[in-house]
Amino acid sequence: MKMFTSLEIPASRNKTWRGFFIILVLLALPLVDVLAGVLVAPSVVILSDKNRTGRLNLQNPSNTPKEVGISFSFGIPESDSLGNVNIHLQDSAVTDPRSALGWIKAFPRKLIIPANGSQIVRFVANPPKNLTDGEYWARIVVESQEGATSIPMATKGDKITTKLNMIMRTAVMIKYRTGDLVAALKLNDAQAKKKDSLINVLVDLSNEGNVSYIGLLKCRLVDADGKEISKNKIQLAVYHDLKRSMTLPLKEGNYKKPYKVEVTITNKGRKDIPVDEMVFGNDISYTMTLNN
Amino acid sequence: MNLRLEKGMKTHKKRKISSLLPTGFKVIALIFSLAMIMFSSALAQDVAVGQATATVQTPLTVTATAALAFGTVFQGVPKSVAVNSANAGVFTITGQAGTGISVYLQLPDYMSTSSGDDRMVIAFSSTDCSIDTTGIVDPTGAIVGWVGTNPYSLPATVTVSGAGASSAIFLGGSVNPSVDQAAGAYTADIILTVAYNGT
Repeated sequence: MKMFTSLEIPASRNKTWRGFFIILVLLALPLVDVLAGVLVAPSVVILSDKNRTGRLNLQNPSNTPKEVGISFSFGIPESDSLGNVNIHLQDSAVTDPRSALGWIKAFPRKLIIPANGSQIVRFVANPPKNLTDGEYWARIVVESQEGATSIPMATKGDKITTKLNMIMRTAVMIKYRTGDLVAALKLNDAQAKKKDSLINVLVDLSNEGNVSYIGLLKCRLVDADGKEISKNKIQLAVYHDLKRSMTLPLKEGNYKKPYKVEVTITNKGRKDIPVDEMVFGNDISYTMTLNN
Repeated sequence: MNLRLEKGMKTHKKRKISSLLPTGFKVIALIFSLAMIMFSSALAQDVAVGQATATVQTPLTVTATAALAFGTVFQGVPKSVAVNSANAGVFTITGQAGTGISVYLQLPDYMSTSSGDDRMVIAFSSTDCSIDTTGIVDPTGAIVGWVGTNPYSLPATVTVSGAGASSAIFLGGSVNPSVDQAAGAYTADIILTVAYNGT
């Protein structure tokens, strides 16, 4: 420590050492162990009748080995009447005709990823014959925990010790596509209601294609002159029917009533999914006028 | 004689330039050279690929930052860990910024000994969970999101949106050892499932 004090090092050398440490820190940044979980990418795996195999990259950026298990479930976004979205994972008794559960396999299914290591998991689809055109879905469930689970030891004969294993599961969508693919979305209903200083927007959507409609829901609150008051957007995935809600802040300002809400739904502009994995369909535009 | 003198002068000049450079500068130069070699190697790989387009995808990561810790408990004495205490369990979720996620906790009813001979009740109340969407990972911090929510029914509008596109889930709970609870080590699993709901 002493050697870095300016008292013992001449001014010119002090600058040199400062530069040296800045470079050292910059070079060491990528090595910093920021997260200790297992990284799972990509966010969706696409298989097709032309390429029945796919892969998932798992990385362990921590300094301890991670025990990882791969399994499959079925779970698509579903909504309640208020537009809240949930995914209910089912391991069995799936009745959805678009389920791919049971005919997609993973290799390997159990693995230990060493510290700071990575592993590729491969998937192979063996679909049943005479599958109708369209898309079939399942979820890859990546379960991880510390490689070496330590069981606590009671220190004295009359003591009770406890340990809770924190297990992490990441459910990634896997899709199998076959034949002619059609992405089509229908807007059944749209509502906008003012509550305090917020505008709550609710859209009711139906998937009329044979693939999931993956896109963006954008809403814009404008005044009577078309001046923008606020806007918001969320990612959208419609598998069957879905209601989605969104809030728009009603900001203070010199705005002329009546206000309007412009709703736009498009499956262009998703930056998280490669363009060649998208099935593009129709866009929807709708404008509502607020009563109060 | 002249020839010998010239040789001697050159050697002297070389020594002088070398001695003028500070040791720190030499180290920096060495590190810089190594970094440039690594960088040029990476560039060479890119050039070899030629024209290519790629979509940058942020991986989804779920991390158990801290385990819910009751420590040592005693027969007949219930023990609780508040959701805003330092002993609360912490999961962090990192992914694509602004993306909606669905989260689901599977919580145990009992903790068991490794032999399975005995078990102890563990309970979670309807306010034993908090969710922060601003990147805070300290359960004792000022959480922004959902405070004191039901761990059995997590909110449906959680997004990955905090600093570094991360959200955190905090979990408290309580254990209720009976008066004749067998001494020993008890374990159970807490499982957090996370899925993007926009893909």
